[in-house]
Amino acid sequence: MNISCNDRERIFLDGTPEEWAALESHSMNCAGCAEELRTWKNLFSAASELHQEWDSPSLWPRIEAALEQQTSAAKDSRWQRLFGSWNLGLPQWQTAAAALLLIALTTSAAWFLRNPKTPPVEQNQTLLNDRAVNDVERAEAAYEQAIDKLDAQARPQLQNSSEPLIANYREKLLVLDSAIADLKSQASMNPANGHVRRELLAMYREKQDTLEQVLEAKQ
Amino acid sequence: MGTMRLALPWGAKIPLQPGEQEVRLGRPEFTQCSASPATDLSAMAMDDAALAAGCQSGNVQAFERLYRLHASRMKSVARNLLGNAVEAEDAVQDTFLKIQRSIASFRGQSSFATWTFRILINTCYDARRSRMRKREVAHEEPDDAPTRPEPRAASAHPTLRIALERALSQLTRHQRDVFLLYEVEGFRHSEIASILEISEAASKNTLFQAKKNLRQMLQAPRSSAAEAR
Repeated sequence: MNISCNDRERIFLDGTPEEWAALESHSMNCAGCAEELRTWKNLFSAASELHQEWDSPSLWPRIEAALEQQTSAAKDSRWQRLFGSWNLGLPQWQTAAAALLLIALTTSAAWFLRNPKTPPVEQNQTLLNDRAVNDVERAEAAYEQAIDKLDAQARPQLQNSSEPLIANYREKLLVLDSAIADLKSQASMNPANGHVRRELLAMYREKQDTLEQVLEAKQ
Repeated sequence: MGTMRLALPWGAKIPLQPGEQEVRLGRPEFTQCSASPATDLSAMAMDDAALAAGCQSGNVQAFERLYRLHASRMKSVARNLLGNAVEAEDAVQDTFLKIQRSIASFRGQSSFATWTFRILINTCYDARRSRMRKREVAHEEPDDAPTRPEPRAASAHPTLRIALERALSQLTRHQRDVFLLYEVEGFRHSEIASILEISEAASKNTLFQAKKNLRQMLQAPRSSAAEAR
């Protein structure tokens, strides 16, 4: 392998063992490279002496103890994070416990107030059961018959009178009859609908009142 | 960086150990490192993951194995960065404590051994900064260099070694780290790259720059040498 002085720096940086050997051969005939090479060798030789080994019989036991201490300190600090930072005496603990109890009771009371214990609803109140529907229908039929009788009494007055008041009653009764017809139609389609039944009852009551007023006006 | 010229018997021939030339002048990747006889990192690659797992589980025996494998070289690295054995041992102890504290964050992106040495080197620089702060508080003269190196074992060429120690303290941190890890402790460039979190090319270039600077600092000024004659 041919080596020149120009290769020296590169070999110093990253030369292969073969290149180093070639540089050694080259330096035998080159004073400049020989001096440089000797300088580098001296440097390496001195550097190797910087590595020092000495016995430290107490070092591992010291490290082991420190590791165990650190482990136990880490465990303690976990509990410390939870409770230790409170640093409370007995009276303070009692106060803290009482405060906790108070908070628990307050929270419970608030919860029960927000969620009152009500008896379970057996059925939707807006829906009537079969028995109730039969009762209501019987009552309605009886009520309707009674109103029809009242209507029969008031009808001559309504048909024959030309007074404005009676005319108003007549128009009102037409509206009520129309509303009653609608509600009865709805009730026939959904007999268990309590809301419709109540509306119908209100209409009947209104018609009853109106007929009574007509009869009173006649007197 | 300023150069510090030291009058040395630089021209004196220093006998090299047989085979040492290959170790220091060749590519260490191809050679066995004399500085770390029983702790070659690549030879422990298989053990590395198991060791990390043991330490992660909090097994003290795993830490002891880590100590047995690397403590010798850890102490040497720390001593060269801090200047004395007492502080070096303290740094090694701190390193083990830091490993235990942060082992959960070890993801295996580097080898456990190089991760350990990275922590060690950072710990040494923390110790150096702490020492400098203490000196400033004590109104002593701040000094970035290690404390006066304590006496070492008998050396074949003590004058050159002492001069090298002083010259090393004048290098940049990266140059000093790479030189110590490569030339003194026998790490490979791939390992140094992992320890210092740099590329292998950067490790090689930094080493070359470090050597050039050291050569300049250690070489006796020709003019003054001529005057002396």
